[in-house]
Amino acid sequence: MAMHQTLSSGVVRPPSRRVRLLRNQRRAGYSMLLPMAVVIAAVTLFPILYSVWMSLNDVHLETNGFALSFTGLANYRVLAGSRVFWHSVWFTVYYAVVTVAVELILGTLIALAINGVRRLKDLSLVIMLIPWSLITVISAQMWAYIYNGVYGVLNAILQALHLIGGPVAWLGSPGLAIAAMMVADIWKTTPFVVIILLAGLQMIPDEYHEAAYMDGANRWHAFWRVTLPMLRGSIALAGLFRILQAFGVFDLPFVLTNGGPGTATESLAILGYETLFQNLHFGPGTAVAVSTVVMVLIVCLVFLSAFRSMVETEGA
Amino acid sequence: MVQSRSRTALGYVVLILFLILILLPFVWMLLTSFKSPLELSQYPPTFIPERFTFSNYHDAFSRYGFAGYIRNSVIVSVASTFCVLALASMAGFAVARLPIRGKGTLMVMLLVISMFPPIAIVTPLYMLLRSVGWLNSYQALIIPYTAFNLPFAVWILRNYFLQVPGALLEAATVDGATVFQSFWRIFLPLTRPGLFTAAVFTFVAAWTEFFMALVFNSSDNMRTIPVGIALFSGQYNVPYGTIFAGSVVSLVPVVALVILFRKWIVSGLTSGAVKG
Repeated sequence: MAMHQTLSSGVVRPPSRRVRLLRNQRRAGYSMLLPMAVVIAAVTLFPILYSVWMSLNDVHLETNGFALSFTGLANYRVLAGSRVFWHSVWFTVYYAVVTVAVELILGTLIALAINGVRRLKDLSLVIMLIPWSLITVISAQMWAYIYNGVYGVLNAILQALHLIGGPVAWLGSPGLAIAAMMVADIWKTTPFVVIILLAGLQMIPDEYHEAAYMDGANRWHAFWRVTLPMLRGSIALAGLFRILQAFGVFDLPFVLTNGGPGTATESLAILGYETLFQNLHFGPGTAVAVSTVVMVLIVCLVFLSAFRSMVETEGA
Repeated sequence: MVQSRSRTALGYVVLILFLILILLPFVWMLLTSFKSPLELSQYPPTFIPERFTFSNYHDAFSRYGFAGYIRNSVIVSVASTFCVLALASMAGFAVARLPIRGKGTLMVMLLVISMFPPIAIVTPLYMLLRSVGWLNSYQALIIPYTAFNLPFAVWILRNYFLQVPGALLEAATVDGATVFQSFWRIFLPLTRPGLFTAAVFTFVAAWTEFFMALVFNSSDNMRTIPVGIALFSGQYNVPYGTIFAGSVVSLVPVVALVILFRKWIVSGLTSGAVKG
């Protein structure tokens, strides 16, 4: 955003009214952008670059600040050789892929089913928005109480239905804890996906489906060739939002499992937090953070291109 | 049209089941918040409290610091919302209606910035706040919350400013108004729906944010609601009654916002989808 002034060289004609007006408006524009640019640069751009730099250094915390000594890729070599790091990469990817896939499929099915319902619109909109506005920490405490192995209501319900013989410690074994966490996430965010997809469905003109049926298409074909391609933008948007959130998953495991049992639900964000602010290993910690950013960007690109080619081949 | 009627019936069944599944955990939390500590850890649990008690609510506010958590959350969320509206409306107006250079680059940069997870910026910010003595302060959260919510707000407001005819700016200029006067008196009042949308999104994001609040403001008197609830623990066991009483109270303002602004929230959620 260089502040180019229109300095006409040598010509001594006073600028016309039009030019003066334009220059004036341009100057006003830059000064109205400036406060936003300063805040964003100070709080996001500069710290991101500085995180990259810190991850290439050995960081020593001192009483009134910190000292850096350049070590190149040493912190990344530590990560590459760390089983804990690779486990949290695996867990984060697994968690993100499963929850986002389930939420998109479930969300699409629910949105398709309820699209025709004409009544209760306001009420159902409010109810579907409440989990979106709910503090994740609260929903985590809620589910921790539901899953509790001693007095949890889930055990009581399943026992009453004779589906389990005795109380199960849902958060006590790795496989169950991961599944329990995924259910809590799916409960909280599927309504969000449904709202976005419903809005997308309502933008598809009825004539498109009528035309498809006139051409002899059945439901299945109409879905793949009309509905899904028209819904592409909404699904991509919901998917992107969700992937970004799922890759940063922190609040839910922090409260529900504290990364456990063992390190079973230790996401990249939990690992980064522990390395940085509990063990105060800032070099490796920022390396975890930077790796997370790189992975998020790659996954978003992969999702967008995979999604585009899937819809285009099925719809062709 | 028998087929379509059966489809509608199916739609109602799915909708009702879906809404019940969303609400059940809330109902459970609400019922639990009225139970005595003894009844809370009873197995099998009682559905309706045997004796309704308000002692959990009383405890949350008089014995524990929930009043403080709520006050901190309100201050931080309201202040962030106002900062975002002030900065984003000026920036959105400049991008939509003033002849500045590099608009396209700027808007794409904002999109990319909004994709970075907070963990990428939290360490340098922590060091910075620590060196100026701002850890455990309101500004430690207001400034980052403002920055993180600016990209979306600028996008939303730019779209609303684009819908106001640019000829209004010319007309006001002819009448002798400065650019800022035209922005403040003419354009801003016409983009009120955009301001509502940006405000609700910023408020909810600030109200629910946990990670930065935990890292920057963890001392007990500066905790926001999420940090207070996450770090809340009794001496021997987790005091779910008190936690849920505090949670129920903290739900009230956001549920009110959702009811009042539902239309604008949906328009904000779907604004990206239109362009695909």
